[in-house]
Amino acid sequence: MLNTERKPITGKRVQLMATCLCDAFYDDVAAATVQILEYLGVEVVFPEGQTCCGQPAFNGGDWVASRKVVRHTVKTFAGDEPVVVPSGSCAAMMFHGAVLEFEKENDLGEVEALGRRTWELGDFIFNGLGVKTWPGRFEATVALHRACHTRGTKSSPAATALLSSIEGVKIVEFGEGEQCCGFGGTFSVTFPNISAGMGALKLEHIRAVKPDVLVSGDMSCMMHLGGMAQQEGKPIKTMHVAQVLRDALKNAGLIKP
Amino acid sequence: MRFQQIDQFSAELKADTRAAVYDGSKKGHEKRTKLLYDEFPDPDRLRHIAGEVKQHVVENLDTYLPQVEAKLKANGVIVHWAATAEAANEAVLGIMRARGATKMVKAKTMVSEETELAHFLEKHGMEALETDLGEFIVQIDHDHPSHIVKPIIHKNRREIATSFEKNGLGAYNDDPQTITRRARNFLRHKYLEADVGLTGANFVSAESGRIVLVTNEGNSRFCLAATKCHIAMIGIEKIVPRDYDLGLFLNLLARSGTAQDLTVYTEFISGPKSPAQPDGPEEMHVIFVDNGRTEVLASECRDILRCIRCGACLNVCPVYRQASGHAYRSVYPGPVGAVLSPLLMKEKFPQKADLPKASSLCGACNEVCPVNIPIPDLLLRLRNRAKEENVPSPGTPPMGAWALLASQPTAWRASLFGGKVMNYLPTKLLPIPALRAWEAKRALPAWRGGEFRAWMKNRPKQS
Amino acid sequence: MDEKPAQAILTMPSSADREAIFSRVRGALAPLHERAPMPDYTTELAVLRQMMGNRDAFTIFSERLVRVNGIALTEIAALVARLREGKWLQGYCDPVLWPMLAPHFGADFTVETTYDRKRVDDYAFGITRAAGAIAETGTIILSDATTSRRLGALTPWVHVAVVERAKIYSDLPQAVAALGSDSNVIWVTGPSKTADVEGILIEGVHGPGVQIALVV
Repeated sequence: MLNTERKPITGKRVQLMATCLCDAFYDDVAAATVQILEYLGVEVVFPEGQTCCGQPAFNGGDWVASRKVVRHTVKTFAGDEPVVVPSGSCAAMMFHGAVLEFEKENDLGEVEALGRRTWELGDFIFNGLGVKTWPGRFEATVALHRACHTRGTKSSPAATALLSSIEGVKIVEFGEGEQCCGFGGTFSVTFPNISAGMGALKLEHIRAVKPDVLVSGDMSCMMHLGGMAQQEGKPIKTMHVAQVLRDALKNAGLIKP
Repeated sequence: MRFQQIDQFSAELKADTRAAVYDGSKKGHEKRTKLLYDEFPDPDRLRHIAGEVKQHVVENLDTYLPQVEAKLKANGVIVHWAATAEAANEAVLGIMRARGATKMVKAKTMVSEETELAHFLEKHGMEALETDLGEFIVQIDHDHPSHIVKPIIHKNRREIATSFEKNGLGAYNDDPQTITRRARNFLRHKYLEADVGLTGANFVSAESGRIVLVTNEGNSRFCLAATKCHIAMIGIEKIVPRDYDLGLFLNLLARSGTAQDLTVYTEFISGPKSPAQPDGPEEMHVIFVDNGRTEVLASECRDILRCIRCGACLNVCPVYRQASGHAYRSVYPGPVGAVLSPLLMKEKFPQKADLPKASSLCGACNEVCPVNIPIPDLLLRLRNRAKEENVPSPGTPPMGAWALLASQPTAWRASLFGGKVMNYLPTKLLPIPALRAWEAKRALPAWRGGEFRAWMKNRPKQS
Repeated sequence: MDEKPAQAILTMPSSADREAIFSRVRGALAPLHERAPMPDYTTELAVLRQMMGNRDAFTIFSERLVRVNGIALTEIAALVARLREGKWLQGYCDPVLWPMLAPHFGADFTVETTYDRKRVDDYAFGITRAAGAIAETGTIILSDATTSRRLGALTPWVHVAVVERAKIYSDLPQAVAALGSDSNVIWVTGPSKTADVEGILIEGVHGPGVQIALVV
């Protein structure tokens, strides 16, 4: 059912879906995404009308509300260019979730078409553009949290390969990597005790391997885990994959600081 | 603040129960993964094929049910059909009365848990004794199973030893070996005194009418070696097309469920015992039970009928590990239960409509499912159904206003800038339930709404 | 002999349920535009080829039986020694097998060739014939036709299955194909066991705590 077939990349222009989380909280992640894509010679267009992918309502069970947002998204991201998203979760919403909730809708075709040209950032770089190694330098022990919505996709292997190819990066595996961090969108506020219980386990496993930084392709997981760690008074440093890639370039003087 | 029932249950769960459930399910999951990936070059392929076979069966039950019925009859089996739990229980009672039977030994069967058969029979003056060790402990404790394969995963040895003592099974002793021996010595005489042995079925081959039963303890074999009448209560979805398919499913079931290459006892029954064999049932009944399954079949969640009850999705599920099985208030806990239980409620769906929400939709359940059921998709469908039926959902933020905002770019941009006010407010005191629930457990990052848009617009032109 | 009244009473009330179920199934499936097809596949995919390699079935069987805490023996003398060592001196033996085994058993043994269910606790061991074995999983196969007593193979603490070397099937699919027409076939893979109490493995729950295959 997971629809991961992609239209092959032709031009070197993409539309950026920045995600609502980056729009509201994590502007530097969106900026880093732009910087690394431009470093690769890709022209990045930011459709100003974009809002959210529609996932909160989709997961919340309000498909009527979600479809309204998805329709807006389909309209906003008109055209043929690949749509690149610095989030495995929002990408999966476009190529899988939206398709599910539009099963019986007349405009299913348009939604599917957007899904086929939507790429999670790491997947786009590694498999779309075929960039298999990353230049620059980033001295850090990295714990890579593989976000659940990238299960069964090519995103996690892509992020792992790109990060481990950077000079100075040492990826450390931690226990129960396959387990969810407990974020889960509205789940985090409707099931706060279970969500926090899951988060506590995840933090315990991560802290056990003493990474310098916790990295993920999804800021939602980072917002939850980082927020929990901060609340406990034991903050951990979190970064998006895009920020590590960007900083590696910066550190080696490959892009302007 | 009101939260979802399962969350409240989890918050109040005893620490050692949570630890027991967590340890048991984690070990089960890790052993399963090792076994499958160590031994098979491509275990995922097996799961996908098995899923296709079962989906084919589910979507062709109109062909397979008459076929399997004819085969069973030709094998000398008396076939009954029970549309409801009550009808299934009545059928069992009827068989027992017709034989003048008063004592039943029961192997573990989930469908008899659904129908609460043991209680029903006891109410009608029959003895109905659970023989699976875990189920036996649940029965003497007047408890409920909390896992479909490991019914007492939530209990520790001290609790078990106490209930053994209370039930006259020897002085307090919490050594697992002693507990098991005592059950062995008590139950073996019960089998031999019983008139009827009741089992479920793991698979029924439409081709041969062969019923396949798997156990580790040997209790179902004992039921079928000691008694003269065998009753098998079977959900209508348990069919596989051919005996050939058993070569696939048996390989997946034990590995997924208990991380074994094969369960200790795998029994193939195609009728009453052979005339030359002194032990075993001379009479055999099969009761095919619907009890809501045809409603599931009519729904868009029919994929859940592929389930072979291995419990792998429970073991891997982070929510199940936090909440334990009883939180689900159903015979089927965990991810499979979150889909199946509300559906089996039929018109009482709203009573269990909260179950599908107890998931972060992480998809681990789908990844381990031996028949590749897309559980997260089914959970989402049920969430949508609950919304369509206006079932109240405590703590769930309303989405209508958000959707309006998120489909109007100008308003969206305005709120991005407006949201900055959050940075200056005591957010913990704001009367927004979702925000308060968030902040009860986690710090909120600084609001930087619109910053990226400004950066994108104002940065120097890239060369 | 009880069969007739049971059938007379019971097939009647369930016929309405039968119709109800069949009609609901048809109704549920009617809206489907297409039905999921049966996949074309081979169970060869599920066979542990790599583990088995080119080794002979007996070697694999013995190795896999040990893996599930079973015991594979090839000499009757070794069997007798094992039983003596465990102080399992009283037992049941299939009358067909006893003439072959008797000369090896000493006077310290009490072996009966009839099984009396009233004396279930008296039998420390049971010796029965297997219909075959499965190498891949270390499984012995019992069937109504070959196994003299279901109880005799189940209730004693020690079960000895006498397996003919030529009847060791390579893998599960092969053994499924060989199920035949016997109305009861059971595969037994190691001693009876449970992990219900705190996940701790305990052998000998309702069935044998010791499972021996005597391969002849």
